[in-house]
Amino acid sequence: MRVKPVLHILGQLLQIVGLSMILPLLWGIYYREAESWVFVLCILITFLFGSFLKLVFEEEDIRLIEGFGVVSFCWLIIPLFGSLPFIISGNLNFIDAYFETISGFTTTGASVINNVEILPKCILFWRSFTHWLGGIGIVVLALIILPALSIGGRQIFLSEPSGPKLDKLKPQVREVGKIIYSIYIFFTLAQIVLLVLAGMSLFDASCHSFAALATGGFSTKNVSISYYNSPLIETIILIFMFLGATSFSLHYLALKGKIKSYIKDSEFLLYVFILGIATTIVTLNLRYQLHENLLLSFRHAIFNVISISSTTGYASTDFNLWPDLSKLVLLLLMLIGGCAGGTAGAIKVIRILLLVKIGLRELYRMIHPNAFFSIKFNGKIISEEILHAVSGFYIFYMITFGVCSLIMLGLGNDFLTSISSVATTMGGVGPGFNLVGPMTTYSYLPGMAKILMCFCMLTGRLEVFTLFVLFIPDYWKE
Amino acid sequence: MRTKSVLPIIGRILMMIAISMVAPILCAYYYGEKEIVIFFISMVLTFITGYLLSKIRENDDGLRLIEGLAVVSLGWAIITAFGALPFYLTGTLGYIDAYFETMSGFTTTGASVINNVEILPKSILFWRAFIQWIGGMGIIVLAIAVLPALSVGGMQMFAAESPGPKLDKLKPQMRETAKLLYGVYLIFTAAQVILLMIGGMNLFDSTCHTFTTLATGGFSTKNASIGYYNSAYIDAVVIVFMFLSGANFMLHYNLLRGKFNYFKDREFMFYLAVVMGAILLMTLDLTYNVYGNIIDSFRYASFQVTSIITTTGFATANFDIFPSHSRIILIVLMFIGGCAGSTGGAIKNIRVLIILKYLYREIYQYVHPNAILSVKVGEETIQEDILKDVMAFFIGYIIIFVVATAIVAAYGIDMITAISSVAATQGNVGPGLGLVGPTTTYAALPVFVKVVLTFCMWVGRLEIFTVMVLFIPDFWKE
Repeated sequence: MRVKPVLHILGQLLQIVGLSMILPLLWGIYYREAESWVFVLCILITFLFGSFLKLVFEEEDIRLIEGFGVVSFCWLIIPLFGSLPFIISGNLNFIDAYFETISGFTTTGASVINNVEILPKCILFWRSFTHWLGGIGIVVLALIILPALSIGGRQIFLSEPSGPKLDKLKPQVREVGKIIYSIYIFFTLAQIVLLVLAGMSLFDASCHSFAALATGGFSTKNVSISYYNSPLIETIILIFMFLGATSFSLHYLALKGKIKSYIKDSEFLLYVFILGIATTIVTLNLRYQLHENLLLSFRHAIFNVISISSTTGYASTDFNLWPDLSKLVLLLLMLIGGCAGGTAGAIKVIRILLLVKIGLRELYRMIHPNAFFSIKFNGKIISEEILHAVSGFYIFYMITFGVCSLIMLGLGNDFLTSISSVATTMGGVGPGFNLVGPMTTYSYLPGMAKILMCFCMLTGRLEVFTLFVLFIPDYWKE
Repeated sequence: MRTKSVLPIIGRILMMIAISMVAPILCAYYYGEKEIVIFFISMVLTFITGYLLSKIRENDDGLRLIEGLAVVSLGWAIITAFGALPFYLTGTLGYIDAYFETMSGFTTTGASVINNVEILPKSILFWRAFIQWIGGMGIIVLAIAVLPALSVGGMQMFAAESPGPKLDKLKPQMRETAKLLYGVYLIFTAAQVILLMIGGMNLFDSTCHTFTTLATGGFSTKNASIGYYNSAYIDAVVIVFMFLSGANFMLHYNLLRGKFNYFKDREFMFYLAVVMGAILLMTLDLTYNVYGNIIDSFRYASFQVTSIITTTGFATANFDIFPSHSRIILIVLMFIGGCAGSTGGAIKNIRVLIILKYLYREIYQYVHPNAILSVKVGEETIQEDILKDVMAFFIGYIIIFVVATAIVAAYGIDMITAISSVAATQGNVGPGLGLVGPTTTYAALPVFVKVVLTFCMWVGRLEIFTVMVLFIPDFWKE
């Protein structure tokens, strides 16, 4: 791998991040907060450093192999700069700030801040805005970069097989990128307007919109969405979390008038089906063991089920107090996640679909040992190579999940905290159970555990393999 | 599947089971117990059913692979139904409980629903241990001759020659192999009985414990399991035989023929390394947190580790109250299990080894996208077909695990109990943690949960696909 072109791209992205800090600066000036100067400083540092990298290292054509470096480096280093406002304003120490920013850019939503309501508005805005920026990055990553790198069977979404060079993709990246950005911005604005109409202030509405669409989950309130206790607001957020977790290419087609493409997509249908089943189970479970009221049970069930499965992590109630069955359903949803072309994390519905088909095929093969079976998705035959990659991804995901949970247990956390914190950070959800429940934060975890959680957020978001490739010595040879 | 060619074989096996009931009858006669009548009735019932089944006229075209699957999976379930008769007819247990206990016996799991075994008649206790011994014999042949021929879960890598579409060719070969392996099994049995008697155990107890050790079952004649004897010598003897039973019996067979192949076998080396590593870590944990001295810690650590990884399930200490590090180690070991070709259950060392190597290759492949890399265990290259089957096995194992855990949790069982009870029954270990810890039994669980766990034992022992294939409608077509 050649480091220079990677650093050039990193420089470009840092410039963008630096410029985007102007928005929180504007809010700071509007609210006349003292922290505004922090952002001036951060903009200067980030932008200058970005320009420096861009100037020093020349632009070169990057090959496929550099793609891993670009993705991993950017996701590791950009949060360093993104965490500057938290550090310089003195709100968080370095590890906490880095944790919070990684959580932001990976759209996880796990927080170490116990009382967000006392934070300056501009800091809060930046915190939610990292979600929004991360969300854009993820959609592009999911729809363009990962398929090109053939990560975990992602090549299934590739419109044409890519050559060994990434730059052939560039014009395509720009085109698709533009369309996706417009959908993303359109949804954001729509949600802000709706939330303001529902009675939220403009500031809160924009922060929550950023976080909901990116399926992040940072809130400007300590008790998350339950602060508002309003079915209307919950419904609006619910819809946009759902939209964020489904494929943006479907939204694109729908906006072009092809609404039917939703019901033609098996992944979308399976996702709706999973949500339906989960909501039913949780509703019934809550009805009989907690609320004694069907409507209230349904309201909390559907909100939290969609919030968790879209890997957002907003809570309309403290689901840590729910019965074990409902918690288990949520834990499974944390592992499954949303659809592949959205901002959601975790294993993804399409992979679950393919895994089930792989399992069934194995059974059919035993009955008809000499027959050849192919696996289809949306009418297309899926190549063996992709199936291989999907199984590999799943196994690797589960092993990483297992190993990290064990390390968490080893650091002295209880069982439920350990498995749920790893499932939730790898899946990009945010809250887990017990110590890291929706009404508590990650601030009580020991420093080592926080670093591990950062690692989980990154590996989960970058689809496991991307990050691990960096650990192969051969990768670093030019 | 042609039921007509399956039933006569199951009939013959039933007749053998009936004949084996002579052993508890002799035991009852010796101790002058009235249960002799019950055993006699059970024997006659079993024998007559078996005889009638065996008289069904066989098809002339012989046994295909698909019928082989049916013999194994249905056979196991039907035999259990008859093996349960003595428990049921003596009034010791209700039928569901009796079926659970017998399934636990024949699959050599060792999960029990009997709270106080010490008040049971000797003949019943003997039968309970004896079915594990018989199950163990069945499993060795299953693992070394039948499953490789049926290509279940990648086990065809152990097949001596690739099987044709018919199983008949295998029959003579299977008889040969079986005879030799039974020789090894009998020698080990005799050796352990003698060694245990030297340690001061009486003939009855040492026979029962030997049966359940070699089968890696874990039923004991004492409520406190092996802990009852509190003797380091007995612990050591049991450890050695558990360890041997968790290793591939082909290796033992070669040893008897004068070929010492243990250290040439990669799976054995891996198994040894896992056991040693786990003992070391647990000894350290117990030294600092429980016993305060290294000798005791080593003694209890090595017993518990060997017992769980070989999926035996004996206990000399209540590992449910061990510190969390040690409990984590045990949970991991529950999933790994013994070696292929042993009486141990769970995923098996060879599969874990292959999956780890496979994952390394996957990452490496990203660095060298055009290289053709193969997965090797020792000198042997693992074919892609086998890799695929191993992965499918792993995926199937985890899916069954998750679904079963969800069902158990749905009955209001706490999460640790739910997870560990499924892991312990699916891996054929026996005791889990929480409600089903080593000092308690499965008796308190709701009836339907017991049914689910019975299914887990069955499905886990027969390597998932052998049983799941029954649920495919195509399977039942003639």
